[in-house]
Amino acid sequence: MVPELGHFAIILALSFALMQFLAPIGGYYKKENLYFQLSYIAVIGQFSFLWFAMLCLITCFMNNDMSVSYVQEHSHQLLPLLYRIGAAWGGHEGSLLLWCLILSTWTLAFLAFRRFVPPAPLSLQRGVITVLGFISAGFILFLFATSDPFRRVFPTAPINGDDLTPILQDPGLIFHPPMLYMGYVGFAIGFAFAICALISGKLDREWARAARPWVVMPWGFLSCGIVLGSWWAYRELGWGGWWFWDPVENASLLPWLSATAFIHALMVSEKRNTFKGWTLLLAIVTFALSLLGTFLVRSGILVSVHTFASDPTRGLFLLSYLALIIGGAFTLYSFRIKHFYQAPTFALFSRETFLLINSVVLLSAVVTILIGTLYPIILDSLNLEKISVGEPYFNTVFLPMMLPLLLLMGFAPHVSWGEQSIAKLWQKLRLNLILSLLLGLSLPKLLGFHFHWLACIGISCALWIVLATGQYVYQLKKSHQLVGLQHWSMIVAHLGIAVMALGITVTKSYSEERQVRMNLNETVTVANYQFTLKQLNETQGENFKSITATFLVQKAHQSPLALLAEQRIYTSHEQSLSKPGILANLYRDLYLALGSSLPDGGWSVRIYYKPFVRWIWAGGFMLLLGGFLSLLSSIRLRGKK
Amino acid sequence: MKIRFLLPLIFFILIGLLLWRGLSLHPNEIPSPLIGKASPTFSLPTLLGTKATITEKDLKGHVTLLNVWATWCYACALEHEYLMELASHKDFKLFGFNYKDDNIAARHWLKEHGNPYEIIAVDVTGTTAIDWGVYGTPETFLIDKNSIIRYKQIGPITQEVWEKTLRPLVEKLENEA
Repeated sequence: MVPELGHFAIILALSFALMQFLAPIGGYYKKENLYFQLSYIAVIGQFSFLWFAMLCLITCFMNNDMSVSYVQEHSHQLLPLLYRIGAAWGGHEGSLLLWCLILSTWTLAFLAFRRFVPPAPLSLQRGVITVLGFISAGFILFLFATSDPFRRVFPTAPINGDDLTPILQDPGLIFHPPMLYMGYVGFAIGFAFAICALISGKLDREWARAARPWVVMPWGFLSCGIVLGSWWAYRELGWGGWWFWDPVENASLLPWLSATAFIHALMVSEKRNTFKGWTLLLAIVTFALSLLGTFLVRSGILVSVHTFASDPTRGLFLLSYLALIIGGAFTLYSFRIKHFYQAPTFALFSRETFLLINSVVLLSAVVTILIGTLYPIILDSLNLEKISVGEPYFNTVFLPMMLPLLLLMGFAPHVSWGEQSIAKLWQKLRLNLILSLLLGLSLPKLLGFHFHWLACIGISCALWIVLATGQYVYQLKKSHQLVGLQHWSMIVAHLGIAVMALGITVTKSYSEERQVRMNLNETVTVANYQFTLKQLNETQGENFKSITATFLVQKAHQSPLALLAEQRIYTSHEQSLSKPGILANLYRDLYLALGSSLPDGGWSVRIYYKPFVRWIWAGGFMLLLGGFLSLLSSIRLRGKK
Repeated sequence: MKIRFLLPLIFFILIGLLLWRGLSLHPNEIPSPLIGKASPTFSLPTLLGTKATITEKDLKGHVTLLNVWATWCYACALEHEYLMELASHKDFKLFGFNYKDDNIAARHWLKEHGNPYEIIAVDVTGTTAIDWGVYGTPETFLIDKNSIIRYKQIGPITQEVWEKTLRPLVEKLENEA
């Protein structure tokens, strides 16, 4: 009964999505307000029924209704309740339902908060709802036609399910996908804004101000989602890595990079009423990359840890819809963009130029990562060879591109709009430059690390940004200006990037790892820490047996700490999974993964020492915080009017 | 209209075409680097029969299908039934390659399900399998009369695989010198 209700709810949601898109079109012809009201009702209807469908799916999982084939494929009688709930979006059908659900949630949020954030003009509001309706209708149709999560198994239901892949059985499953989708899907609103501007030919400050919270918030969620995914991979995969340049990770990084450029271009549109064509292009590119990401994950076109099963008809449907939405948007762009062209009104050395360089660098990074990600398909489709592009390529091309970006972040807040004298800027920033270089070169030594160029560059850049940002606050205070929420959002986000850059470079420079074989009571030393294997216990989990190894970790003159690492065997598939033990604090992680048992009774063990690795994720959460502050500033802005 | 305004659209169309082409490719099927090369040298004990060891020399002079299998492999059990049907084929010799398995279990399994193989090599440790580039079961190598590996089937041999891929190849190799 429940699956049928869910199935029916999807049909109703599809009808509402069509109504949301078609009613306003009727409204434009008839010039009748009623039609627009209808589309608002459709937004609420669609939202309610998609939520209802999701609750139905979760109920099916909670009841372990094995007659539903999606449940049967992703659940198991022994699977703990928490993961049964998370399994609702652990596979293709459910994650697509989540996609639609989040799109309709954003749409409702846009409708509900239109009075609290800087309001868009009525015609723009209606336009955005129409475009979102079109996107939503296509995706719900896709869900309904090719990927119905409520399909029953006929004639007889199997007794037990295939179980959720053990890698997914982690609390990360509950938070990471929804957070990531909140980001991905949210860019649809910025895209809808751009389409409305292209059609109406109107892009003014009001437009940019109204669009800002709807771009910055998804960006914050995406930052947080990426970071959660990285943290999850770190805890789960047992290789001590936090970023693998997997195609699907790249697919989430691409829209993040272009959205970062978009936010900055949008700011120029808002403050200076210029950069309009560029802003529109970035809006379309950002959403195009989000859709491309969805396509890459869902079609199984690339080999990745994230793709489990693929079906060519699904890929074809998604690709056609992508071609329709994005191809249509770019066609519209090429015909209409001449209306937005203006001669530049700023000098070469000005904040505008700095922000333009920022956009160009970010977009170049997008192109290089895109090429690296698609390169295997390019070669394969030319029948050349099968290859995969890995870390060496991405590290070589990506890191050098981020360096100028970090340097820019120390300059840009101090460069004036319009025109800036170079001499004055030099006067202002020379102390920062000297200080950050000196500290960057000496800090590693002072903290007892050896010299490493990457760490020196990273620390210098991080300090350069921190000092510049601090100076920015100081000068605002000195000139008795209020440091508003919008300033704070920028400050927190920039500091977040600095923290992240510091974490990445220090971890990369000073991590140590050893792969050893260990017997009971044997001691191994890694980075001044002594690891002793003390105990091996067999334990029984809800749906796995495991061997837990207890290690004592001791640094000279300090009391020992216990570290537990596990090797699990999931009973349903006899699949084994290593759950690393981690001792974390602000300055270092000690990370230990239990490998396989050796014939002589010993164990193979991988031990990692990772300094400052937490800073990477802390930086990501600061980006989310920056996003929230920006939203608050938009609400305050509305309050002041 | 200026051409540079069209650039994003053109770039997008190129990527779209690439992805469309990519949909019909199979990224998980990695071709074996051994194709076209002589079979690796090896010497392994056999599971049943009179001959005590098997080496690469035993592959000479006839078309061989070398089927990698194990009792612990679920897909091998599915494939087994069809292999029994193929065993009556006179054109080629079907050899087994028992991979990381227990000898007693393997014998028992063959007694129960029937033995389609002419001769079975036993690789308990899996070291010879590394030379062959085996990374899963079942896998089947098609080897020609001069003991050169010509094709590698990843996954079970089904009726469809046999009719569409393997049989035409076997017939072609049969007619070669």
